[in-house]
This record gives sequence, C-alpha cells and structure tokens, in this order.
Amino acid sequence: MTCLGRRNLVLVLGLALAALAFVDPPAMRAQAPAGANVATTFAFDRYHNPRDLAAALTSFAEANPAITALHRIGRSAGGSDLVVFEVGPEAKGKDRNLPAVFVVANLEGTVPIASEAAVFLAKQLLEKPDARKDLTWYLLASANPDGAARYFGKPAVADGRNASAHNDDMDDQADEDGPDDLDGNGLITEMRVKDPAGEWMPVEGDGRAMRRADPVKGERGIYKIYTEGIDNDGDGEFNEDGPGGTDISITFPHLFKPFTATGGAWPGSEAETLAVMRFVMAHPEIAVTFTLGSTNMCLQPPAGGRQAAADLTKIKVPERIAKALGADPNATYSIQEIMDLVRPMVPPGFELTESMVAGFLGLGAVVNPLDEDLKYYKEVSDRYKDFLKQHKLDGKRLEPIQPKDGSFELWSYYQLGVPTFSMDLWTLPEAEEKGEKSGITADSLEGMSSEAFVALGEAKIAAFLKEAGAPDNVKATMLIEGVKSGKMTPKQMAGMLRQMPRPKDTTGVDPKTKALLAFSDKELQGKGFVAWKPFRHPQLGEVEIGGAVPYGETTPPPALILPLLEGQVPWVFTLAGKLPRVKIVKTDVTAKSAAIYEVTAWVQNAGELPFPTAMGKRNQRVGPLVLTVGGSGLTFLSGKKRTTINDIDATKSVKLTWLIQSDKPQALALRLESPNAWADSAEVRLGGAR
Amino acid sequence: MKKILMLAAILAVAGTASHRGLAQSPTRANERRPAPAASPFTTSEKILVPLRFDHYYTYEQVGEALRALHDAYPEFTTIDVVGRSEEGREIWAMTVNNPKTGAAANKPGVYVDGNIHGNEIQAGEVCLAFLNGVLTRYGSNEHVTRLVDRNAYYVIPVVNVDGRYHFFHDPNTPSSGRSIRIPKDDDRDGLRDEDGPEDLDGDGNICTMRKKDPFGRYKTDPEEPRLMVPIKPGEKGEWTILGEEGIDNDGDGRVNEDPEGYVDGNRNWPYNWAPPYVQAGSGDYPFEAAGMRAIAKYMLDRPNIAVVYAFHNNGGMYLRGPSTKAEGMMNPADVAVYDVLGKNAEKIVPGYRYLVSWQDLYPTYGDFTDFTYNLLGAYSFVGELFVTETETYRGVNEKAPEAAGELELMGNPQQERERLKFNDNVVQGDLYRPWKAFNHPQYGDVEIGGWVKMSSRLPHPFMLNDLAFRNASAVMFAASQTPDVTMDVFSMQAMGDALYKVRVRLANANAMPSMAFNAVQKKVFPRDTLKVSGPAIKVVAGGPLIDQYQDRVEYKPYRPEVQMLQVPGSGKVEFQFLISGKGTVTFDYASRKAGRLAKTVELKALK
Repeated sequence: MTCLGRRNLVLVLGLALAALAFVDPPAMRAQAPAGANVATTFAFDRYHNPRDLAAALTSFAEANPAITALHRIGRSAGGSDLVVFEVGPEAKGKDRNLPAVFVVANLEGTVPIASEAAVFLAKQLLEKPDARKDLTWYLLASANPDGAARYFGKPAVADGRNASAHNDDMDDQADEDGPDDLDGNGLITEMRVKDPAGEWMPVEGDGRAMRRADPVKGERGIYKIYTEGIDNDGDGEFNEDGPGGTDISITFPHLFKPFTATGGAWPGSEAETLAVMRFVMAHPEIAVTFTLGSTNMCLQPPAGGRQAAADLTKIKVPERIAKALGADPNATYSIQEIMDLVRPMVPPGFELTESMVAGFLGLGAVVNPLDEDLKYYKEVSDRYKDFLKQHKLDGKRLEPIQPKDGSFELWSYYQLGVPTFSMDLWTLPEAEEKGEKSGITADSLEGMSSEAFVALGEAKIAAFLKEAGAPDNVKATMLIEGVKSGKMTPKQMAGMLRQMPRPKDTTGVDPKTKALLAFSDKELQGKGFVAWKPFRHPQLGEVEIGGAVPYGETTPPPALILPLLEGQVPWVFTLAGKLPRVKIVKTDVTAKSAAIYEVTAWVQNAGELPFPTAMGKRNQRVGPLVLTVGGSGLTFLSGKKRTTINDIDATKSVKLTWLIQSDKPQALALRLESPNAWADSAEVRLGGAR
Repeated sequence: MKKILMLAAILAVAGTASHRGLAQSPTRANERRPAPAASPFTTSEKILVPLRFDHYYTYEQVGEALRALHDAYPEFTTIDVVGRSEEGREIWAMTVNNPKTGAAANKPGVYVDGNIHGNEIQAGEVCLAFLNGVLTRYGSNEHVTRLVDRNAYYVIPVVNVDGRYHFFHDPNTPSSGRSIRIPKDDDRDGLRDEDGPEDLDGDGNICTMRKKDPFGRYKTDPEEPRLMVPIKPGEKGEWTILGEEGIDNDGDGRVNEDPEGYVDGNRNWPYNWAPPYVQAGSGDYPFEAAGMRAIAKYMLDRPNIAVVYAFHNNGGMYLRGPSTKAEGMMNPADVAVYDVLGKNAEKIVPGYRYLVSWQDLYPTYGDFTDFTYNLLGAYSFVGELFVTETETYRGVNEKAPEAAGELELMGNPQQERERLKFNDNVVQGDLYRPWKAFNHPQYGDVEIGGWVKMSSRLPHPFMLNDLAFRNASAVMFAASQTPDVTMDVFSMQAMGDALYKVRVRLANANAMPSMAFNAVQKKVFPRDTLKVSGPAIKVVAGGPLIDQYQDRVEYKPYRPEVQMLQVPGSGKVEFQFLISGKGTVTFDYASRKAGRLAKTVELKALK
C-alpha cells in the first residue's frame, strides 16, 4: 500500500457512505422520518434568536446523525457557542477528502434573515441528497450571536456589535451610556428636540422622516436629533458609550483598519473572528465561501479602484535596490522583468517566485480584484440575474453595500484565494422616482468602453453626475475630456462610484429614507415608523420620540422570509455545481524500446471555475494538485514520481509526460489528488500488462 | 552598513534558504535530554546565582537560572508560565517587583524579551543578565536600587522555546532553527517540512558542502586555502558550492528546500500584518503561533508596560518603528522620546546604531514591536545583538578590512580571512570546521566544512559577558526614564463664601510621558484621570490651567470633577478647580503607565 493508502481508503469509505445516503437504505430510513420531521417543522414564519437557531440545528443533527456533525469552534464575547453545522458524506469521519462549501451568516449581527437563510440551506441539504452527495457543507448560521441577540432584545436596538466591553468615548468608564427606551415601546428610535442650533427639519409633506436643512437654500434647521435615551454618565453626550463591542464583520485581516471605534483592536482580536479564521484555515478542503449578510457578490463583483502599490505591471524599483540590480529607479518594470534582474544574484538552484520578489520590494498586498477573476464574477452575475428573473425577485431595490475593508468576504477573496460569493437576500424596494434618469450605473460603467462613454453625450453624463451626488464643480465636460485623454476609464469610475456614499436626491431625502417611507406605507401599514410623541426628558426638557423602527432597512416582514429564501438560496447549489473538479481525462503509453515507455496523462479541470482563482494563483495559499505514478522498480528518466500542478483554468487541461524505464510489464496507478477539487485515478499498462 | 543592507535584502529574498533546521527529529513535549556533551559554548555545571555569562544556557538551563534567581530573591520575583508552544514547552516570564514600594501593576512596567527567533540565543542571556544585574545589585548599588523600587520588570528570556530547544539539541547552521514549529509547505509540493538539512558528518553542525568542479564558479582563495573566492573572467573554476549539509529527502531534485516551519514569530503579530504571499513566514493569520497569542494576553493583562525591549541577533542595532513606509511618519513627540533612549543606547553599546526599521533595514509586516508601540502604547525597541566585525585579528596600526561589495554573498574575503585568524589564534579553532571529504549519496565525493552553529551570529563565550552586560545596561537606562509623576496642590485661594480656587500640578521628571503621544492621538486607551472628591465639597468648575499668570483655564463643561490628561515627559500639566464646601478634598491621579497618586488637603486659603 502506498503512503496514500489511508487517504484512499477514507475516500472509498466516504463515497460508499455517500452512495448509502443516496439510495436511502432501510437502516437509515428508520431515522429519516424523524429527520425529515424536524427539518420540516422548522417554520420560516418568524425570525429566530441565536439560541433557537442553535437548537434547531442541533435537532437537525440529532435527527440525521449519519450525515451531520456539529463543531463548536469558539465562544462569543457574550458566552454563546459558535457552532458549525456540517452536512456531507464525510461528516462522521476524521479526514476530509471531499471539497467543502463554507457558509457564514450574519457576521454583521444586524441581518437576521441571513441566519434564517443558513437554516433554510441546512434544511434543503438534508432534504436533497443530490446536493450533498460528494460535497461537504459547513454552515455557521450565527457568526455573531451577541449582536444578533439585540434584534430580539427588549428594547430592540439596531447595534450588531459583540458583547466585549469597549470604552467608546475614552472616558473613565466603559459601556456606561447606552440608549434607553424612554417611551417604553420596546424599540430604540430617535428623539428630536427643538433647538436654535438644530440642523434638521421634517421632510416636506411627510412628518415622519427628517432631513438636514440646506443653509445654501436658505433653509433653517429646527431640530437636533438624538438616539432615544438619557445622558447616563452626565458628560453632555447622549448614548455615546453603549454596551458592546466590536463589529465582527470588519475584523478580518484584509485591509483591516486599526484605531476605529468599532473595528476591534486588531484583525482577530475578537473570539468570533479568530474562531472563523482558525476553522477555515484548518479546513483546506474549503473550495468556496458563501457569506449571507449585507453584501451581494453574486450580483456585484468586489469593487476596485483602490490606490494600489501592488500593481505588478508597473513597479518602481526603490533607488537603493535599483542600483544593485542595474535597474532605472525612474522607470517602471513588470514583475517578470524584475525577476530577470534578480535571478543572477540568488544562489544557484534557488527558486525565485513572484511573491518573494514582491515581498522584497515591499509591494504589499493586492487591493484590487484581478481582471481574470472579474470575468467569472461577471458571468455569475449575469446568470444570477436570470435566476432572479425566473423567481420574480428582480424588482428594483436599493443596492446592497459593498464588502467593507476588514470584511470576511474580502479576506476570503484576497487571502484564501477561493471563489468568494455573498448574498444579501433583501434590501428595500426602490421608491418610484419621477423624472428623467440617466440610466448609468456602476454596473453599466464596469464593462463600458471609453468610446461608448463619450458617446453618451454631455446631457446624459450631467444627469448621471447629479444622480451620483457629485460636487457641482465636477462637470460632464471634465469627465469626457478625462476619458478621451485616457486619464480615466469608465471602469475606474465604476469603482469610484461604488465607494461613494449614496447620493441624496433633489428633495434632500436620501433614497434609503424615501424607500423606507414608501415601504412602510405600501407593505407595513405604516408600521415602519413610530409617530413622534412628546416626552418630558429629564435632561433635554420637552422632546419628541419617534422615527424609523430599528432594523427596518435590513429586515423584511416575516411573511416575506420564505419566498425570499426559496427564490434565492438555491442559487448556492448552482454555484456549487461550478466548482473546479480535477480529472484524468486521457492517458497514453508509447513504448520507446523494450523497457522504456513514454507515459502521457491529461489532467482536466472539468469545473466552470478556475483552480485556483487568479488571486489564489497570486497568494499561493491553495496547495498544488499532485499526480503520483505508482508502480514497482520504476526509473524516471524524465519527469518525477510526484508531479505538482499549480493551476488549471476552468475547462482547461494540462498535459504531463514521463519517460519511464520498467524492466517488466506492469500496470501503473496514476493517482491525482487536490486540496479542494476532488481526486481521480487512472491506470496505464506498460508492455501489454494485464 | 551598505553591505548589511544588501545582505539583509537578499536574505529577505532568499527567505527559505536562510532558516534551515532539522525538522525530522521527533521530540516529545518538554522531553528532558542531557545537556550536549562538553563544549566550549555550554556548561554542565549547576546553575548558581550570581549567574555566569561565560557560557550559553540551554532552554532547560534558562528555567534553572530563573528558579535559582527566584530562590535567591523570593520576595522580589515571581515566575509565570505565560503559555505553551506548539510542541508543548512552557514559556516563562519573571516579574521583578519590590512589594514594599507597591504592587507591580501600579508602577511603570519595563518589559524585556528575547529569542523570538529560535537561533538568536544570546538574546536570552541578555534577559538573564538584566535580571541578574538588577537583583544581585539591589541594596548595594543606589542607582539599581532606585530602578527596582520604582518600576516593575517583566522578562521573558525565551519567546521561541521550541526554537531554542532545538537549536541546542539539534545540528544547525548559525541561521537555522529560527521558525515557530508550525509545519508549512515551503516548496509548494503538497508536503510539509519534508526536506530539511542533515548533519552528514555527525559533528553537531550543519556546515557547507562543496564539490571539486573544474566548471565551478569559485576557486581556492590564494591567501587562505580554507576560503573560496569567485572566479574572474578568464580564470579556471575549482569549486561548486552545494549549499548546506544535507540530502534530498523527498527526491524532488532539490536539497534542504523545506525545513521546519516556516512561521516567523516576529511576523505573526496582528498590527500591520500581511499574509504570506506578501511576506514569507507571516503565518496563515495573525497569532497563528500559540506562544505569540499567549504573550500578547500576558502583556494586555499588564497595561502598565511602558517600555519594551525585544532582543534578536545580529548586526549591532537598536531599531524602532515604523516597520513599513506605508505606516507613515511616527508621531514627532514620540520620536523625541525614542531619540533619547536610542542615542544613549548607541553610546552604552559601542558599535551599535540606532535605526528606523523600514528605512534603514527593510520593511516587515506583523512585527512584535509595532504591536507593542501601537496597541499597548509602549516605547519599543528591537536590539540586534552582536557585530561580527568585532572578531578582529589586527595590530594597532592596521586598518580594518574594506567594506565588501554590495552583493558579495560570500562575505568580504578580507574580513573572512581576519575572522579565520581570530578563530585560529584567539579562540583556538572553536568556530570553524576545516573541510573534510564525505561521500554524499546524491553528489558523490564532496567536502563538508565551514563556520559552526555557534559562530557568526553569536559572540564566543569569552565575549558574551560584555555583550550581555552592556545591552542590559541599555535597558536599565530606559528603565531610568519611565514616567516619574509627582502631584502637588500648589495654590488655594478663597473666592468668597465657602468657594475656593485650587490649583494642582502633575509633573514628570523623566523622558517618557505618562502615555505615549501616539496612544493619545489614536485613542488606543483612555488617558490618565485626575478625580476630585471630598465628603462635603462640590466641584463647581475645573479644567486644565493654560496660563497661570493670566488665569486662563479651559473649563470642562461636564463632570469637572473628572479630568482626562497626559503628563508629558520632562514637563507638567496643571489644573484649576473651583470647589465649594468645606473640609478635606482628595485628588486621585490614576495612570495605566505612571502609577497612582493621591493627595488630601484641607480646604483653606494658602499663600
């Protein structure tokens, strides 16, 4: 038995188990009704707090013991267990040879529907043997239970931070001045106070929402706005240091920002983040990540446009190094050109890599998505839009937010180097607009040529600038000139547009508030807002309490949960079907003499996604494919017994050739292994061996 | 200087080549092996106080030394197990504190560690020498007595405990055994740590292999037959340098290309961390290394740590951050504090230079000292111990060898010749193995020889005492500059009916402020507090006194009885309070780094 024997055996057992699950043998059927029962009794007619979610998944696991496992990967700052629910043929074993999908939900803590979606996915996986037959699924349905619990708290407050104490106002106490439910309605809303120095005024014709007064237009602010509560610590500030903590959704290492009020001290400073990073790194079989939360990388590719040092096509060599390399410090070089300069200077036999040179030049991390990857994102997005259309979920809605710096999504794309997708499930429907629109969006700019942009004409571009909320001194002609001269591309503009805050419309009300008002009227019988009611405040005197109900913009009413999940979550199965899958598709043997054979094998990536992503090629985290030639008494005249393959693009093949001496006819076992793209084997016969 | 820079850059490029170690030897956690056989570098004698610095301490002996110090000074010292390494070894910290002058937590903390890179062992001896120096001279030396009485000391002599253990017990080069023991696939062949070097000749060292080769790029140095020099165009080659001693364990045609690790303990800290494709050895994520995470917790539990010294080898440098250009310029007020410590260190340790990490050396991400400066607010230095050029063999009128060419990988032949004479005539051959024939399974007839494990980056034991003493003194200088805050109620005036104007001064005699300026600016933690209380008083108003002659005060509109502040180094801050009532008033000053003070006065007019 070769050293791969054990792995082999496990795989065979795993496949056998998958097959068993598939045919649903009597032994398992005895448990199946219970499983099916529990799975179907979970109703998506309301939101479930983290405790109920955990209980549901535990009961799923208990009812389906052969194909599930629960992994307690850590504990939140507030003391809740973080539990990964595993479904798949290998769930009961120790080794993992099948690729895995990692799903993480509600890192933000403020998106309860994301956790419902994860449970919905778990239920579907239990009910659909096909979806789990040769794939492992890891679901972390409640990644930030402390934050998530606040939706269910009394009072409900829209604050997703975890329960670790943080001194937000840097005074002599921590967490001493949170909001207070002064009107006792179980919701933390807002207080407005008439104040000569106020900056806010009610929206014309709608007393519920407020907007900032525009002094340029001669408007005078009437109100000051505060979060509902009192100044508990008497420092003149209201609710400036509430309970919690850290926003888990921005505590991962890619583009982590230190020294923010809510981002944690360092990437991984929070138990929740550390647990996720450790779990993912301990499971190299994870082939794709899927985030359920507030971003949507199925619709929108990761945004570019960041100022980048690590552009490997235009590198400036620092002066002190340039001299030693014989490079011009004023010129720019490609990474390949620099490697050619460095190569003669490293010891013989030393293998120089791009990453090594990038590190030596101090180029830093990649910060913009790579073009090769964007092509796949574009394709996925187009197909997903078709999918949404089929499910009648393609209505105009507010754009999901872009993954933030420090988010799990960006960490996954840039540092894990695996396909990274996310889904936000719901945003408010866009309020219907009157008047002309430019029709230009970040999406349409993304693929637009410079010529096509110029051809839009000044009027349309001017309308677009207005919609985008550009300052008045930015004129359409400037953009046209910039694009004509090549200083700017429509793609860069798309990147900038995605980074910009949402524009305000002409009436001074931001689209979100407008959408919230419309949604409240149309779908919630007005319950999206609490009417302003007078209140005698101990410190501020006469105030009014009211305004938008917390979570209104992230959380659809319960009646919408099921249709939203049914119409969107199954897309995950489509994506899982695109994963890279390696195969030995053809072999060939040519006898060169009585004992010398040329052996050829073609290794194909039969999937619709590359192995690995372009970013994965760059960061080299995902290990190589390894093809081992098994046989006895072989001499490798060319090629090696173990051959590594770093990457194969989607649908492409790689040809490997060996020149092998074998004194006897024999069958060679070719064994192809991958970290996260399945395995394959083939047999080739030398000298007419049977 | 230049040469060091280029070598450093090349070593950074040649990342994996510079940290070889023998990973195959299976070792159980905390397995006790006898100290290596009699050697000029180690001792088998019992470790006694005062500690001696004419030999190196194995990992186990560092533990014995700490226990011996604790037994000799039980009331001043405590030993904590900070955490455990990947192989299960204990990481020890010793606290030095005089309980009679207060609890450790209420004094400025001075933190010293070493040996985060497993092979950089003399860093551990500097830590032990520091402990030995403050403890054995307490009571007899007035300066040391004061340093012990007013500060708390936290010393972790060995950070990379697995690394130190293996460096002594396994064959190594002077540069191998650096890594944290987390297996990684350095050569991307799907296997981890499968091809480290081997001690083929069994002498306990990983030396160099060379082979006779008429097409080689080197020839024998005409002046020193043990050395080789590159051939010039037109000359005939004689040698090919095969690299470090070892075989091709995995049959991939490469020798020693995937030794232990590589995870660099000093690239795995979470401040400004970058993943391994940006910088080799970062680890999969910040704090992947269990020991680093444990030490961070240990330090975060001791927020009084005001200054940090982390010792490495080599090059003779005291380095401060930033570690990358992208971090921008350091806060100038903090630079002024660093300058005081750094410029004095240059004088305390001759030949050492005070430098900025990214600018004068090379950029690094995820450094320990970037973490401690930025997130703990402690002034932090890396001390790069030992200058190879001090291995001299030169008469009073002879000139030092000229600096090597910028890319002279083999070192400067002139200096190498001098070092060999130093080896022959000063240390009687302890540092160098002459070339010896060996039959290599893959290369055939080769020769093995060169500098031994305990050479090149380490001082010979006879020079160790000097190195350890001087660098411990650089830390003592820093310890003398930790914030020393005093409080004084310097004026009290009656303002009418039971109303007093009271002025309080907080002064700091030393160079370090009560809180680093960066920590104030970035709001890393709350500033110091000054609280005013009393059984029958009310603070009507209060705030910093900007100008005592013009009576200009920035009154704090809310909670005037609690003021937030920083006391700058060699300076003061003053506050003015309007207090109504009668009886006593207490002023409580509390600082993370500068301790606590309280003063109670009777409300009355003072002149």
